[in-house]
Amino acid sequence: MNTQITHSKKRFFYFICLFALFFPLQLFAQSKIISGTVTGTDGLPISGVSVQVKGGSAGTATDSSGNFSLNVSNPNATLVISSLGYISQNIGLAGRSNISIELKGAEAKELNQVVVVGYGTQRKIDVTGAISHVDGNQLAKQPVLTLTQALQGKVAGVQITSSGQPGSSPQVVIRGAGSILGGANPLYIVDGIWTDDITNINTSDILSVDVLKDASACSIYGVRGANGVILITTKQGSGKMKVNYTANIGIQQAAYVVPMANAAQYLQYETAALGPQLFPTKYSTNWFNQVLRNAFYQNHNISVSGSGDKYKYALSAGYLTNQGIIIFNDYKRYTVRLNNEFSPTSFLKIGSTASFSNQASQNVPTGTITEDAYRAAPLVPAMLNGKFGNTSQYQNVGNPVLNAQNTNDLSHDDRLQGNVYLEINPLKTLSLRTTFNEEADFYDDRAYTYQHPNDTTFFNVNGGSQGATRSTLAISNSKYYRWVWSNTVNYNAQFGSSKITVLAGTEAQEYYQVGSSASRYSVPPITSEWYLQNGDANFQFNGSSVNKNTINSYFGRIFYSYKNRYEFTGNFRADGSSVFSAQNRWGYFPGLSAGWIISNEHFMQNQQIFQYLKLRGSWGELGNSNIPSDASVQTVLSNIPYFFNSGTSASGSTTGSIVPQIKDLNLKWEITKEADLGLEYSVLGGRLSGDIDVYDKRVTNALIYVQVPGTFGSQANPNSSITPGDVLTNAATIDNKGLEFSARWHDNINKNLSYFIGGNVSFNRNRVVSLNGGLPYFDGNINGYFTTETKAGYPIGAFFMRQVTGVFQNSAQIQNYKDKNGNILQPAAQPGDLIYKYNSNGQLDTSYVGSYQPKAYIGISGGINYKTFDFSIDLYSNIGNQVYNGKQQARVVATDNIEKSIATSYWTQQNKSNTQPAANSGNQPASSYYIASGTFVRINNITIGYTFPQRILKRQKVFSDCRIFLNAQNPVTFKKYDGFSSELPGSSSTNAGIELGTYPTVRTFALGVNLSL
Amino acid sequence: MKNILLFICGFSLMMISCKKSFLEVPIQGQGTPSTDPQVALNDVTGAYNALITPDPTQSEFGQYDIHGIYFITVTNIMSDDADKGSYPGDQPLAGDIDNFIETSDNTYVAGLWRGYYAGISRTNIAISGLAQALLPASQITRLTAEMRFLRGYFYFNMVRMFGGVPLVLTVPSGPQSQDSSFYIRASVSDVYNKGIIPDLQFAVSNLPLKSATDVGRATKGAAETLLAKVDMYLKNWQQADSLTTDVINSGQYHLMPDYSILWRQAGDNCAESVFEVETGIYGNADYGIPGYVEFQGPRQDNGMGTPSPPWNNPGFNQPSGDDGYGFDAPSASLMAAYEPGDLRKAATIISLPASSAPDTLFDGFVVPAMVGVSANYNYKAYHSQILPGGSIPQVEAFDGNRSLCQKNLHILRYAEVLLIKAEAANELGNSGTAIGYLNMVRARAGLPPTNAVSQSDVRTAIWKERRVELAMEHDRFWDLVRQGRAAQVMIADGKTNFVAGKSELLPIPSSEIAISGGRLTQNPGY
Repeated sequence: MNTQITHSKKRFFYFICLFALFFPLQLFAQSKIISGTVTGTDGLPISGVSVQVKGGSAGTATDSSGNFSLNVSNPNATLVISSLGYISQNIGLAGRSNISIELKGAEAKELNQVVVVGYGTQRKIDVTGAISHVDGNQLAKQPVLTLTQALQGKVAGVQITSSGQPGSSPQVVIRGAGSILGGANPLYIVDGIWTDDITNINTSDILSVDVLKDASACSIYGVRGANGVILITTKQGSGKMKVNYTANIGIQQAAYVVPMANAAQYLQYETAALGPQLFPTKYSTNWFNQVLRNAFYQNHNISVSGSGDKYKYALSAGYLTNQGIIIFNDYKRYTVRLNNEFSPTSFLKIGSTASFSNQASQNVPTGTITEDAYRAAPLVPAMLNGKFGNTSQYQNVGNPVLNAQNTNDLSHDDRLQGNVYLEINPLKTLSLRTTFNEEADFYDDRAYTYQHPNDTTFFNVNGGSQGATRSTLAISNSKYYRWVWSNTVNYNAQFGSSKITVLAGTEAQEYYQVGSSASRYSVPPITSEWYLQNGDANFQFNGSSVNKNTINSYFGRIFYSYKNRYEFTGNFRADGSSVFSAQNRWGYFPGLSAGWIISNEHFMQNQQIFQYLKLRGSWGELGNSNIPSDASVQTVLSNIPYFFNSGTSASGSTTGSIVPQIKDLNLKWEITKEADLGLEYSVLGGRLSGDIDVYDKRVTNALIYVQVPGTFGSQANPNSSITPGDVLTNAATIDNKGLEFSARWHDNINKNLSYFIGGNVSFNRNRVVSLNGGLPYFDGNINGYFTTETKAGYPIGAFFMRQVTGVFQNSAQIQNYKDKNGNILQPAAQPGDLIYKYNSNGQLDTSYVGSYQPKAYIGISGGINYKTFDFSIDLYSNIGNQVYNGKQQARVVATDNIEKSIATSYWTQQNKSNTQPAANSGNQPASSYYIASGTFVRINNITIGYTFPQRILKRQKVFSDCRIFLNAQNPVTFKKYDGFSSELPGSSSTNAGIELGTYPTVRTFALGVNLSL
Repeated sequence: MKNILLFICGFSLMMISCKKSFLEVPIQGQGTPSTDPQVALNDVTGAYNALITPDPTQSEFGQYDIHGIYFITVTNIMSDDADKGSYPGDQPLAGDIDNFIETSDNTYVAGLWRGYYAGISRTNIAISGLAQALLPASQITRLTAEMRFLRGYFYFNMVRMFGGVPLVLTVPSGPQSQDSSFYIRASVSDVYNKGIIPDLQFAVSNLPLKSATDVGRATKGAAETLLAKVDMYLKNWQQADSLTTDVINSGQYHLMPDYSILWRQAGDNCAESVFEVETGIYGNADYGIPGYVEFQGPRQDNGMGTPSPPWNNPGFNQPSGDDGYGFDAPSASLMAAYEPGDLRKAATIISLPASSAPDTLFDGFVVPAMVGVSANYNYKAYHSQILPGGSIPQVEAFDGNRSLCQKNLHILRYAEVLLIKAEAANELGNSGTAIGYLNMVRARAGLPPTNAVSQSDVRTAIWKERRVELAMEHDRFWDLVRQGRAAQVMIADGKTNFVAGKSELLPIPSSEIAISGGRLTQNPGY
């Protein structure tokens, strides 16, 4: 009864409002009111659609129910109906006063798309910061393990570099490297849970991915927002029950393997370098062929989802196996997810998301195997009569085939991730939400190394160092817990033309990791006995690791919009983090942004060029606390033994301690300030749309490792992740300036044929502005030669090394290569050696030869739908950077194998070259000889699909939907560099771009099916 | 009403603010100076540990070295006593040092620089900790004297390797400290007169005799011997003479009858030992100088695929493989330096001439003839690697980790005290006294008394005796420099890249010069 009265009161109120709105028009214009409804092809109403009288000034927009009414003077006028993402239509009224319009558009409701902005959502049209939204369906179709691999090239301003090694997470850099720290990766938030690793997430569970790019958008995550934030939302059920099954089955193989010299080429080269010291054998082994294989890949997912009046549910299960392209490697993953939401009353929502993943890996030392395969002499057989070829006959290198099987290393990772939430809406305009997020991870590893003597019972030839005199069993367990408790209040109201949203919240989180490891010798080689108690108790070793940190935060956001034209957002966050000392603990991070939807202005109503045009600008400040917990605390390393009073050295020890590293006890927040100016557009009847953004991102007080002089006495610390001799301090100012451009064109040629093509280009200029008078940070040490310097005026990790100007062709040339005082510059050189550049003082010229930071990176995707066939292609490209062939320079042993390209082109008296030096015994200094262009273009994915037409499906009653598809992931790369890969993230931005590892990138060919009940 | 109640409940949830202590998370799993009540005592032990390695990760080819592979290279290999060894392409940086063509970016040199300063820093931290420690004054004085002995020793090696170096005697105030003592090289004279000599004098005055302290700790005798050696380098003959006289008269030391056991475990901490690096078992594992034994051990393969006769040493760690990498191979020049009948030759060099039968070592290990790349290995660096619980009984302690063998490094021993005494006496004009001490050393080696008489001949005889008595004991190169004949001897030995006025010292690491912003200056010629 009560409710009914309220409702009728409301209706009356609305009526008065509407009446008041139209009354003046009724008074002064003798014209006709046209009303109508705009819907999409799915029958759902579309709001905000522009309805204009062609050639006139009258116009309106549809309301949230898709309804509009408009006053027209001419009953036969033509209405122009347009909205971003839809194909515009011209409708002749022909005297009608009520029309219904169905808008078509392949792109559908892009602007009504809901974007996740952190502790809430916004319509895309209301977003004033730089946020990119990617639909989960675009990612799920790719046969990859993690979302990040699938995301490459999809978002402007997001650079994803994948090393290709299985299990390794790709490196993600948003708008250029801001922090020199290893922790340049963005923050991932999965349904509210802060996490660093998302290998546990099944890509087909992902509804959408939102990338917060600028400081105003990220500032709601202040403390950890500096490297950008990637928000992952998993699927919820809606509508009637859907059962869906997808599967992908295929093979993987090495995309490109650097050809190595065969036995004859190797011998010829070694003889040229060392004289006749090596002799032919019966063998010519291609080691990469011995350890690489075509690997089987499969991925199955089944999901059930739906909703009722008071509940939503989504249940999914996934199973993925990935053999790995190296022999004996294997990976399996099970995932289960259950997302539920209940609404017991109209003002209460209780829900949970929960996921479990189990990952099992049969690990092989991929780095060692491929490095040994790169180095091992081809003169040794891989196997001979059941015995291993002894590669250590030639140098201290293991037999890669043996490397893959002398240790049985099995690891499991079980991860639970989820949350429970309660949302109360005491008023229509107000909601209160409390969410408790928890992540728990349990990791264990068991590695059994077989005893294997280095004699002829095991090898074809005895000797060498690749033996194990005793078997070893090493086990380790590690677990971590992370909880995040967030409480938010959200107020949402509309006053006339003003719309206002206010958010306020608190958050607390704790992370705790603890692990232990133990090993014993001489455990029997029987799988069922691989437990510690079966090992020799006289040789037991153990240790543990632990880490704990906490963060406490307060945050808020205000959004204000006036007349759907002027929008303003303010963000604020205060964070306290336990990793900083008490006086530097709290950081305050504001963000401001504003938007102007120009296309909604009156003066834009008569133009037909822009269907949508929005200008937005933003400014914000962010922090970075992604530092080791011990970075600002002076720690001691205990259990440092010495042997006093021992009489004989075999008895007891006294333990002491040392202070291994100097710390900056005054460490502070790193502060990122970023300004962004963006333009969003849609033209040509909505067929072409996109964004343009310019930004300037400056990091001050940037956390950087500085090298202290040896005289400070810094030492290696096995308990710390900080490199010996390095001190983490706030010393740098780094600037990233960039331009991002994205565009998407789509068109329907006719009923049967439609196509789209889209792309994004990101230009970024990375510069270290200053190091506060500090010294360059040297990194990328190969054979004692630093290859990079991070210093003022250059990009982070710029390549600095001696420059090669050619090759000495004869002795006279060496004798004539003198400094201004007449001293011979390279007196020890021989004809065929590289000529290095010297400065006028006769010193080696060590100068800037490029950087790994690309000038631009590009993603392009396109697709064609013809009847029920679909075809799509994605490309990714990196332009204008340099890479360093570190593995060629790292050749320290003369008898290491050599790349075929060098073995067939080196300088000789008969075959002189001015670019290739003579055969040498390795250990060359770092020089520009090893620098190559890092530019490449890669086809990320090609998919061809066929959807069974409904008329065929109708013949059976089981499946409502069926699509089959063929997939090629990473099939072709065009690159100038002749190494394994041009994508070399390194361990930090100060040593990126150096190819030391030799793991080939992987390509996948797969067949898939998608079935719905 | 209900709604309002819910609103209040919800809002009070929001108001739950965390306690201030929520953000006070002590660092987990690592100690801090303030949590360690025994910090001063522990820092002293930690400083001694630097003698084994300044690198807690125990890396062999790492960034830090005091007595490891890099030290072996710049002492023995660089001198005429030993060649680089192994096969030609192996460890070319060591080869560069051997041939005096190393450049300032040689990582061996950088590793020594960083290693010694790590050791010096450990002594500085201990000394500053002791000054505030709640310990009896006498204990503080003794431990401070031990630390100053170690610091004096480290600086003595530094000044011999690099010449004048930054004289760091304090703990840096923080990572941004611009204190010039960390950046500017002190003169050679200042390193001696403001660093080494005051440290060692303090140690001489405040350390107990060997019999009155723990085995392995610095003693008065060790401090006197080291100071006498410093005085010998500085030609302060009077002080060298009186200090060695004091050591000889202390009654704490005598020569062992059997020279061959001095560098075996049987000779560890014997009556001849004045100061040595102690090693042992820690955490159920061997704990010794990383790589010291392995780097110098006999090697089977020559890296060139040449088939080798099989080794067969059942019960040993590597029954059929490399015992080590075969570096630091005693040279032909050293072989020729021994007089006929000198018992020390066979105790110093594992020698494998082409025609000889396999050489059986003291523990029964058989090194077959003509294996490896060098005919000679350093016997003083050999450590018996018989596996525990195996088919043959162990002769020396060994737990299976050949890279961390429990091999004590003998830094100062009584034979050298006698030779310093002899040299000082001779330089002071008492050649007769000198001959007496010289003959004590010769007699133990099975040699007749010297026939040198004149001061000049006795000097030559003492120098020759130092070479063979202390062969492969990391002394030869610096001895030659001290004697002013490094260039002459090195060039005569065929090391023609030796440049007088340059090659006596190592280059200052270019990386350190860069980090210092150029305030650290380079040695001449590099």
